[in-house]
Amino acid sequence: MSQITFQPSAPVRSMPALGRLRLGFDIAPWLYLSPVLITLFVWTYLPLAEAFQLSFYQWNMLPTSPQRYVGFDNYMRLFKLPEMRRALWNTLIYIIGLFPLSVFIPLAVAILTQDLTGPLRNLYRALIFIPMIIAPVVAGVVWRWLLNQDHGLVNKGLEAIGLSPIGFLQDADWALPTLIWITGWKLIGFSTLLIAAANASINPAYIEAAKIDGATRWRIIRDIRLPLLSPVILMLSMMTILLGAQWSFTYINVLTGGGPLKSTTNIFFLLYEYGFSSMTVGWSAAAGMITFAGFTVIALICLKIMRKRAIYDN
Amino acid sequence: MTIDLHIADTAVAPVSAVTSFTRRRGWLGRAMVHALMIFLAFVAIFPVYWMLVSSFKAENEIFSTDLWPQSPSLENYSFVLKSIPMLRMIVNSTVVSLATAALQVLTGLLAAYALVRWKFRLSNFIYGAITLSWLVPFQVTMIPNYVLASKMGLLNTLPGLIIPHVAAAFAVMMLFHAMKSFPQEVLESARLDGAKHWAILWEIVVPNLKASLASIAILAFISAWNDYFWPLLLSRSMEQSVVQIGLQMFMTQEGNLWGPLMAASTMASLPILLIYLVMQRQIVQSFMQSGLR
Amino acid sequence: MLRRYALKVMLAAGVSLSVFSGAALAQMAAKIDKPVTISFYNYNLATASAGADATRELIAEFEAANPNIKVQGMPVPSNEILTRMQADIVAGQQPDLAQLTFRDLIYIAKDLGANALEDMVPAEELKANFEGMIPAGLQLGVVDDKTYGLAYTFSTPILYYNADLFKKAGLNPDTPPKTWAEVKTAADAIAAKTGKGGFFPGAYGPTDGTFVYQAILMSNGGNVRDGNTLTFANKDGVAAVKMLRDMVDSGGHARIDVASPTDSMASGNLGMFLYTSAVQNSLSKAAKGKFDLRVAQLPSFGDKPTKPTNSGSALYVFSKDPQKQRASYELMKFLTSKRGYTIITSKIGYLPLRLDIVDDPAYLGEWTKNNPLIRPNLEQLSRLTANVAFPGPNYRQAENIMKDSVTEAVFGKGDPEKVLVEAQANAQALMPE
Repeated sequence: MSQITFQPSAPVRSMPALGRLRLGFDIAPWLYLSPVLITLFVWTYLPLAEAFQLSFYQWNMLPTSPQRYVGFDNYMRLFKLPEMRRALWNTLIYIIGLFPLSVFIPLAVAILTQDLTGPLRNLYRALIFIPMIIAPVVAGVVWRWLLNQDHGLVNKGLEAIGLSPIGFLQDADWALPTLIWITGWKLIGFSTLLIAAANASINPAYIEAAKIDGATRWRIIRDIRLPLLSPVILMLSMMTILLGAQWSFTYINVLTGGGPLKSTTNIFFLLYEYGFSSMTVGWSAAAGMITFAGFTVIALICLKIMRKRAIYDN
Repeated sequence: MTIDLHIADTAVAPVSAVTSFTRRRGWLGRAMVHALMIFLAFVAIFPVYWMLVSSFKAENEIFSTDLWPQSPSLENYSFVLKSIPMLRMIVNSTVVSLATAALQVLTGLLAAYALVRWKFRLSNFIYGAITLSWLVPFQVTMIPNYVLASKMGLLNTLPGLIIPHVAAAFAVMMLFHAMKSFPQEVLESARLDGAKHWAILWEIVVPNLKASLASIAILAFISAWNDYFWPLLLSRSMEQSVVQIGLQMFMTQEGNLWGPLMAASTMASLPILLIYLVMQRQIVQSFMQSGLR
Repeated sequence: MLRRYALKVMLAAGVSLSVFSGAALAQMAAKIDKPVTISFYNYNLATASAGADATRELIAEFEAANPNIKVQGMPVPSNEILTRMQADIVAGQQPDLAQLTFRDLIYIAKDLGANALEDMVPAEELKANFEGMIPAGLQLGVVDDKTYGLAYTFSTPILYYNADLFKKAGLNPDTPPKTWAEVKTAADAIAAKTGKGGFFPGAYGPTDGTFVYQAILMSNGGNVRDGNTLTFANKDGVAAVKMLRDMVDSGGHARIDVASPTDSMASGNLGMFLYTSAVQNSLSKAAKGKFDLRVAQLPSFGDKPTKPTNSGSALYVFSKDPQKQRASYELMKFLTSKRGYTIITSKIGYLPLRLDIVDDPAYLGEWTKNNPLIRPNLEQLSRLTANVAFPGPNYRQAENIMKDSVTEAVFGKGDPEKVLVEAQANAQALMPE
């Protein structure tokens, strides 16, 4: 097997080391981490802590109103919502439904276009990226327009080939897949970009060596590209699981409001409807805590899997 | 970690495997790939094409299903430019998104380097904490952040839109993974040569991460560009507003103004397209260069 | 830690301020003697439509007449304006005048801290200003016998109909349906003979309020609540919903995207559309040259008089400083004056709260002559019934449960009565005791 060595092309400048500060520990990593940590602490974690405290009260946030302690009342109210079970089930469907659009197809596109020569490769990738340039709200309303039962082009197309028009956003059986489609449509470019970038970073020397050794294209994909792409693939999968409900939120909000007949609501939208858009901070804080805690558990599981499964080239 | 290639014992000619694949499958395989790509590209493009075409349609033509306007006109565009300070908003959005993307990439780079390069006890915990911050829903932090921004005098300013977003968990995570693929021996040997961490980061690591940096920059730009709720709270006048607020102005309670909305949306998409075209060169170029510099 | 402390300080300061302002409320400044700037939270300004232009025109006229007062327009979309005001109050930026929708009336009066006009304005002056306004209109902003809001841009549901589709279905467009039974006949005919949608009310969409539903409900003698007890699942309420359900079952009630019925009407694909008169301008423009758009009044249940409810917004004053209160009140007075309503009706398309301007040539006379489509709406005004807002801290959730249950009862497969009764019980748990 070919031996691969790395040679930096230019010698690294040697500078006198700063010298360890006499603190007993290395301060350098903390300096590097500080911008991120400070920002996240001030703008994310501090409000979260506050929300945690407020979730046990009933208050409308105005200085002139009293705060009323209600214990776990806000949480119980949210859990007992009749749509909760439906929302959880739909969330699962959203996530599973998004996988083909957020992971599988982009993976296929990135790999299949890798070996195309000439301008076509960049053209295809650019075209697939285009959905990302329009604002989410606009994407939502344009699709609504296209899928409209009366004057939408998609239904006109269906009629032209002899099928009857479908009420994509009105029919309770079609609405959820339609929203998954719209959410996913917008995302294909995102995932394709990331996978393509990671693909481009795979050391070509590996590929060359494999080709010299006579490996087929499929072999190369299976044994080199996919394993080395595993961090990105796992990362995108984790994102789909954790953020799938959030990604679809804009579209649910603009297009269906959770309907028809609750068929498109998911956990995030439900908590938004009852928590965040209410004027009482207790409900919204409790909703925020539930979302955060629930997805944290899932995230920790995902991170564990990632640590075990991701393969790095080092 | 080494990669073992178990090569099948099929006899192969000492030609590039790609050519042999193509020869065996022939043009059929290639045609299928192209067909799939064309189909996907069509599906991806069509709604955007529809948006573009509709922006040139006159008001009473808007609901027609013609694929091309009967009498194309620019009246929607002039309406947009007349009714709201659209160009100013586009400039604002561009400034904010560029600054946010640049800062997110920079802080992400520093943080990822710290987590990859130094193994200290808390590094796993820190990584977890950074990742989890992603899961905090926006609405939870909205009002407390607004109060803080107000106290810092950031209301109705562009820096107010940038400062809370200086760090992004996404950037840290992606760069963390990209850096993990970096061979440790090179870093070690440079260290032994006496190089400072800072130099290693900028002279060895970064030049080899161009593809990742470019893609993260594009996505950070888009994410900042599409941000709606925070600018909605923070901007008090249209001159300090961003494009997303401008777009909403065409969606009124009395019905959407479709023509101008499509025109405004087209205008709002162009900067992103530009950034993508500029940045994706980096991705292409970095593939072209073999080996590390 | 810092944040919690800060909030506690604000809470204490707020309490003391409210004590202070309670006394100050009775003594709004008599006149403005030095320059003052007030903020005007307005959602028309957040659109790129005639509403924004008209509002700017009104503000400019007001500032010209009142050189000491500067008005800072704060454009915020209507579905976010309440959140924005809440955030600003918490952050210490007290709003002065705001245009807010009716559904939040009770919350605005009780929680957000709007000023009761009776407390703020000397009685004589208030009476003089109320002269000429429709009494029913004045009631729209009343909570517990005090006037908090003055109706500013408001409208009632009217029945738009497509005369061309009527003709195609063999119906006479000059005699539009007057009762729900007639609507059903017409809708079924349109659906069967033309293949287009028959009838649709703007009552189910995510951004529609509940005013269309309430109009239908109350026209049948029902009501959403009686005090703190919900009553929308009572006999009359169920009957009203069953009427709609029957139309769905017979095919007349269209099954279109609930978020965009206006588009279906505008593109000529819907026979009858019951919605706010505020979309009249945009529908007229879309129909020009394509189809004959006409309007009729809200249909009735047999002989029972209809009860058209209001949608739209009212103006509320929030200032705590006496000078700003006077300035805000002056602006409010101007916006609800004859001149104000003339601009609002002719330029934006809402209803005037002052009926004396309708035929007055100095005000709306000319416009009304050229825009006969407003007549049905004006005739309904005599029966204007206040939209019922929900009370309590969970008012939005309770209202959502009600609206969702109506949608389910109309379009679902279950028994409408069961759906409504169950929802009423669920929502009741969220109402204050």
